[in-house]
Formats: sequence, structure tokens, C-alpha cells
Amino acid sequence: MIEAQALSKRYGAKAAVDAVSFTVQPGRVTGFLGPNGAGKSTTMRMIMGLDNPTSGGVTVNGRPYAQHRAPLREVGALLDAKAVHPKRSAYNHLRAMAATHGIPNSRVRDVIELTGLGPVARKRVGGFSLGMGQRLGIAAALLGDPHTVILDEPVNGLDPEGVQWVRHLAKGLAAEGRTVFLSSHLMSEMALTADHLIVIGRGRIIADAPIQSIIDGQGRARVRVRADRPHDLLGSLAGNGVTSQVLEPELIEITGVEPRRIAEVALRERVLVYELTPLQVSLEDAYMELTQTEVEYQSHSLPSGNQGAAPVEGR
Amino acid sequence: MATSSSTPAPALSAPARQRPRQDRGAGPGVTFGRVLKSEWIKITTVPSTVILIACTVVVMVGLAALFAWSLTIMAQSVGDANAPSGFQPPPDGPESVAGQVLTVPSSGLAFGQLLIASLAVVLIASEWTTGMIRSTMIAVPKRIPALLAKAVIIAGVAFLVGFGSALVSYLVAQPILAGEDLGFALTDDNVLASIINTGTFLALVAVISMAIGILLRNTAGGVVTAVGVFFVLPIIVQLISGLADWIPKAARFLPADAGNQMVAITTADDALTQWEGGLVMGAWALVLLVLALVAAKKRDV
Repeated sequence: MIEAQALSKRYGAKAAVDAVSFTVQPGRVTGFLGPNGAGKSTTMRMIMGLDNPTSGGVTVNGRPYAQHRAPLREVGALLDAKAVHPKRSAYNHLRAMAATHGIPNSRVRDVIELTGLGPVARKRVGGFSLGMGQRLGIAAALLGDPHTVILDEPVNGLDPEGVQWVRHLAKGLAAEGRTVFLSSHLMSEMALTADHLIVIGRGRIIADAPIQSIIDGQGRARVRVRADRPHDLLGSLAGNGVTSQVLEPELIEITGVEPRRIAEVALRERVLVYELTPLQVSLEDAYMELTQTEVEYQSHSLPSGNQGAAPVEGR
Repeated sequence: MATSSSTPAPALSAPARQRPRQDRGAGPGVTFGRVLKSEWIKITTVPSTVILIACTVVVMVGLAALFAWSLTIMAQSVGDANAPSGFQPPPDGPESVAGQVLTVPSSGLAFGQLLIASLAVVLIASEWTTGMIRSTMIAVPKRIPALLAKAVIIAGVAFLVGFGSALVSYLVAQPILAGEDLGFALTDDNVLASIINTGTFLALVAVISMAIGILLRNTAGGVVTAVGVFFVLPIIVQLISGLADWIPKAARFLPADAGNQMVAITTADDALTQWEGGLVMGAWALVLLVLALVAAKKRDV
């Protein structure tokens, strides 16, 4: 369990993290989503005691990280795949970290096996690909078999197989009752991995909710319909926030009304419908909407078009 | 609606599946002994460090042997009636050949000092330049034990390098000096103390350099600063010592000058004694180390 209370980090006048409060619960994967520069890494570094908060505080399993007797056995973290001396081998790097907690070399070999580093474990880390570096960082995070696992952008640089492996690992750890806190700027990745989502933008929490409710709350029903007389259908559906777009003579997209309601109206109006497809409101769309609002709230001059995360960084 | 088949159903991780582990945080924790072991693993698993340490020993012994050999040649020329007329070494005292042979074991010190200072800065500053410090501080989040352990390891290695090199230098020099009947015993005036203090001096050089490395967190800047303190500063002071009486007096308390007194066989009347030199040098090391630890504890990593 991770609990942040009015956690803030300022660099001069700029607030990288602005009085955020949140709780990361055990037993599920909590995603920490936000555009680059939103304050994800700074927050994670404060959790691990690397950065001192300007104000507020954060505890892991009930205590500030540094106050634990055996910190690596409480919390494992991958913050930065490059936190390694390039001339040391992966095995020796893990051995040195393990030694601080009296973790036996057999556990070092276990995490090497688990992360698939076996073939390169005796090679210098300097020659590792980004993906191998990430695996080494994850191996270090798992050394102490910790109850809480924090991974900052773990799928960065991993191949598709590696991405899937991280996904299974995160879910598996959560299923064992551990706290899993995973950051990413990839909305699609979060949709597949996380159960709960904390969305951060410009150092502030924008949303903190189960992933499903973020999708439901932010998106609106959108349905693709193929019918032989689409205009008759639209005429009967019109009003009450329903919008539509005619894509082809017999193909329309209707927003703001449930598929069942469309079918009912079509039946009543005796319009032949030969396709009725509910369209997935992607988490990405929901995320854009969330962060967009935050940007618009901060600066009034931006156009309201769906420009993605770019305005957040470029502002 | 709006659920794709690939989105995990929340039920998958519902509380029913939770199995809170009872053993969390169980197992050995961080102790200073374990952190020492970790730092020992770190210093021995970067090949260039081990090579540099070995080179330091070899060069220190080599320089001492060369110095011993040059002293035998000087001794020959003193005894030679056909010696060049301009060459008149004093007949006795610390400047005589017989006095100088006693400094043979510690004669590689200037070079050893340079290498150990650089090595100590590199070992600590590379933690920051490589990013390793983040792994170190995550494993030991109280920070000070990790840095203290590294200081103990580096100082220990530096002591062994200095002491070992001086002892081997003594042993290597004896057969060379024996040719001119210049051999001496470990029990002669201050010889053993000088050999031991070659190690002590290097240990203190290592601690001071490490403190500089922690404060600057930069390899190149740290090496330049350490070399400046031990080599350039004494030269500058030498150059300006004529300007005022107090300058040479104050200069005795610089780390390099004080440290060199530690290995002296004989000391001049106004100079620091071996013990005083050691205490002054030790005070420098202590103050800088405390400053460095305080800074490292406060700063963001």
C-alpha cells in the first residue's frame, strides 16, 4: 500500500508535483498515467526516498521508505534502467544489491532466470540493449520478493514478447495480493494491464478511479449503423444530445444513444438495419479528454481540438 | 458497453483473489556489515579498478627500487676521489646518502598519492555519473551507511596499498643497497612508523578525495580538485611563501604538507612532528567527510 498526502515537489517556482494525494491499494495493478513531464517519475522518486518532498509526505506499507528495516524486502522499484555501472556484469550488480540485505546468491540467480537474463548475466551491463536494461531493473526490483512493486515505464524499449511478459508479471504480482504501481504514458498499455488508474497532468491528479469507470465516465456511446434509409432513422433519433455523421450513403455514426435504442427506433420506423456496431471508446480517447480539460483549464488560448497530449508538453 | 475483449474484467483482481502475505518484510535487513560486503563486491567487480590498484603497487615499488639504485650510485661517487668537483653532498645528517636511504620505503608516495586520490574520486563520483547511486540509495535509503561503508573500503584498500608497497619496497631495496653497505633494519629510527604511515597517509588521502567526489558528484572535476589540493596548492604556496612570514607557517597545516610529515624520518625544529602531521591530516579528512555526508543526506539523488 502506498499513501501520498499532499505530496509536493517544487523546482524554483515550478511545481513538478502539486499537492497530490492518492492511495495505491494492494491486490490490483494501479496504473499511473500521464504525459511526459506530468510528474510521474518525480512522484515515484519521492516514494523511494530519492527526492525529498518540498511538502507533504508519502508512506509505503505504513512508513516512509527509508524508515524500513529491510527496504528492499518491502518495496522493489524500477525507476531508471540506467542506474547501473556499465562495466559491472548484471550478475555482480544484483549480487552487490542483494548483499545489503543478506539476500542469498540463489535468489539472485532466481530473478535472473525469471527475467530471462540468463544468457547475458555475466556480460557487462554497458553493452545491454534498452530492453535488457529494463529486464535487469525489474530483476533488481524483485530481489527482495517485496510486497510492493513500483515500475516506472517498464515496457520502454521492450520487444512485443517482453511487453506481454511485463503485463503478465504485473497481473501475477497483483493476484498474489501485492501492491503494483505502474507508470506509463501509453494509454493502450494501461488499458490492457491496469485495474485502477491514477491520471496525472501538470503535477496534479486529474482522475483516480477504476479503469472501467474512467472509460464509461469520459466516453460517450458511439455506434456505427448501416441501414437502407439512414436519414429516416436519424430523423426519429434526433434531439437530446444525439449527433451523427454520414460517412457513406448507407453508413452513419451516431453518438449519444445506446445501440438498443437505435434498434427499437429502427423496428418502429421499419428501417432495415444491416449493421449495428457499438464502437469502443478507447482509453486513449478518455485520457485525451481528461488531460485536454486540464490544459484548457490552465490556459485559455488553446484551441479545443483533439490535439492529443502534445499541448500538455508544448504549452 | 465500451468493453473490448482484451480489457481485463475488474473481477480478475477483485478482493476475493487477494492473498495478503503474512511474511512481508520478513528476512534479514540492512546492517553496516552487509553494506560493507556490498561495497566490497562493487569495488572488486569493476575490472579497471582492480587493475589500477595493482598498477599503483607495482609503480610505487618500482620507484622505490629505482631510488635505492640511484642512492647506491651517489654513494659510489661520494667515495670516489675523481668525483665531479661541483658535486658535494653534505657529509652527514638527513641530507646525506645514509640519511636518505631511510626514506626509500615511502619514496613512491607522491605517485601513489596521485593514483589513490584519482581512484577514490572515480570510485565515488562514478556512482553519480553512471546512475548507480540510485540503485545504491534504493538499497540503502538511509544513505550515510552506504557512503561510510565505501569510505571504509576505499580507505582500507588505500592503507593496504601504501603499507604493502612500502614494506615490499623496503625488502626489494635491501639487496640493492647492500652492495654499498647501505642496508638498514626495520627497527632503525622511525623506519617502521614511516612504512605504516605510508599506508595511513594514503588512507587519509583516499577519504579526503572521496569527500571531494561526493561534494562535486563529477569525476573530472573531482580528480582535478583532488590533484589541486595535494599537488598544485603546495606549489603555489611555495611560490608565494616569500611574501609574508605567516604563509610558510600556515602552509604546514595544508593536507599535503601535514601528510608528508607523517612519513618523515626526522623532522626540522619548526616543522610538525609525525604525530602532529597525522592529526592535522586526519582532521582534514574528518571535516570534509562530515561535510560530504551531510550534503549527500540532504540532496536529491
